[in-house]
Amino acid sequence: MFDEKTQRKAFWSRVFELAKENRNIVVVSADQNAPVLDHNFIPWFPDRFVNVGIAEQAAVLVASGLALEGKIVFTHAITPFITLRVLEQVKMQMGVMKIPITLVGVGAGLSYLDSGPTHHALDDISAMRAIPNVQIHNISDDVMAGAFADIACQMSAPRYVRLDRRGFPDIHEPEEDFLIGVSVVRDGNDLSIIGTGNMVHRAIDIANALAEQSISVRVIDLYTFPVNAKALIAAIAGAKMVATIEEHYLSGGMGSAVLEVFADCGINVPVTRIGADPALGYTYQYGGREKLQEIFGLDKENATKVIMNAWSP
Amino acid sequence: MELIDYAKLEEAARRIRLLVMRMCVKAKTGHVTSSFSCMEILVALYHGGILRFDTKDPKWESRDRLILSKGQASPGLYATLADFGFFPVTDLDDFAQVNGKFGVHLQNTVPGVEITSGSLGHGLGIAAGMALAARMDRKLFVTVVILGDGECHEGSIWESAQFAGHQRLNNLVAVVDRNGMASMEFTENEVSVEPLDNRWKSFGWRVLRVDGHSFEEIFEAFHGFRTRRYPQPLVIIADTVKGKGAPSMSDHPGWHGRSPQGDEEVDKMIRELEGGELYV
Repeated sequence: MFDEKTQRKAFWSRVFELAKENRNIVVVSADQNAPVLDHNFIPWFPDRFVNVGIAEQAAVLVASGLALEGKIVFTHAITPFITLRVLEQVKMQMGVMKIPITLVGVGAGLSYLDSGPTHHALDDISAMRAIPNVQIHNISDDVMAGAFADIACQMSAPRYVRLDRRGFPDIHEPEEDFLIGVSVVRDGNDLSIIGTGNMVHRAIDIANALAEQSISVRVIDLYTFPVNAKALIAAIAGAKMVATIEEHYLSGGMGSAVLEVFADCGINVPVTRIGADPALGYTYQYGGREKLQEIFGLDKENATKVIMNAWSP
Repeated sequence: MELIDYAKLEEAARRIRLLVMRMCVKAKTGHVTSSFSCMEILVALYHGGILRFDTKDPKWESRDRLILSKGQASPGLYATLADFGFFPVTDLDDFAQVNGKFGVHLQNTVPGVEITSGSLGHGLGIAAGMALAARMDRKLFVTVVILGDGECHEGSIWESAQFAGHQRLNNLVAVVDRNGMASMEFTENEVSVEPLDNRWKSFGWRVLRVDGHSFEEIFEAFHGFRTRRYPQPLVIIADTVKGKGAPSMSDHPGWHGRSPQGDEEVDKMIRELEGGELYV
């Protein structure tokens, strides 16, 4: 388990390294651990690991008080509980007062597959996106996870770092400037697929499959909200069609954010959104993440079909 | 203790209540009664010398932190800070008006104000975080947070109280302005908060209960608070009267969140504030 490659291992390992150099780094946890925290951070810095118990409101409030006194604070819990559960604390402390704490949610999308809707996070990006002044970072690989540990330490904005529970192959370069918020991870010139989080990897799979049919697909990782409109428009330049894919409800998620940018900036390109239809509601079905993705039509086969139906060069 | 000039403090409390009344009457809004119930507490903290601060350097690192969690009592704090010289008293004239620097609920953009509040249940957790940071860095400032009694309905108050109690944050003092009322009702008719003493005690706090309009009792409760003689955080439950000073608007739920209007009503309240016997 400890040797397994996961986003939270990448993220917390970097926090641990940074904490060795900077004694102001504090982790506030709402009864949420991680192997790196258990084995490294807590034994080394017991006084800088503050467990408030299963009390997420207190976690955000205590973190905010610490940050007002100059501490660099990472506030850790399972995704739904560090977002929806504390949305009004997020609004007041992060949105209104702009206290630069970093919320770390583990369990993006359907990460907590068999735990059911209580632990699924298909609605957190749209909810958090409604709060001004909060930067949302939907992490797609370990390189990005580590980079945002560094960025958070600059305390330049309140942030929400959204980690998947499992690991994915690295698709980013360490030299990348992650403050941009958008990057092209695979080039192509017929159509562009914009993915976010784990779905960037699905987009790459689809692109590779379509390459066999001589369709050249560009894959774009859109990982920060609010969207950097200029960078997004530059990234899709030349695309005859855009598809978006996210493991999140379509209402107010990444695809919505893309449509907002296109509408506001007068970008006239056909867009097909793939994501969880909110009309399907919450699911209590089991059988693994792939199975749940099938229910919401996010599996490779269906997503490819949807894109091909929309594709008419 | 004998050095305290009670007459001067009583005079300050009366003067600041009048400032609150005038600013809220002019703005036709503002929580007058919520401000009046914690007036002696605020005056004791500032004019009475309990808190350490520097009006010329409101962000002085060693200042004590005062968190007004019941942010609706902002007129009380604004008028106290202005009276003490944090900013010109004339700024109060623009309360909740075009180009005004502040409005009905507390803003941390005002000199001397630590947090933005008005949404209840937030101040205690933030104060606990500040107190914890002070302990981590071995800093000597004390954090004082003023809570409403209706605010004690909020679950986040008790999440924060259990945390501070568990952490034994003895550099943290909470004052509950126990004026008996939430917005629409007396707390005990709505959802009871009593026995408030035992609730806090069971959360690991040292509890003192005082008459929140008696300077003597407030000073007695704060006596030695900086020495950290006790291992626990301290809560002072201050029994108060909502609207204290103006009997016509006291202890009546209908006066929550509003100011007197019309010459007759305003004159009556001002006469009560100017002439009434506050401390009998």
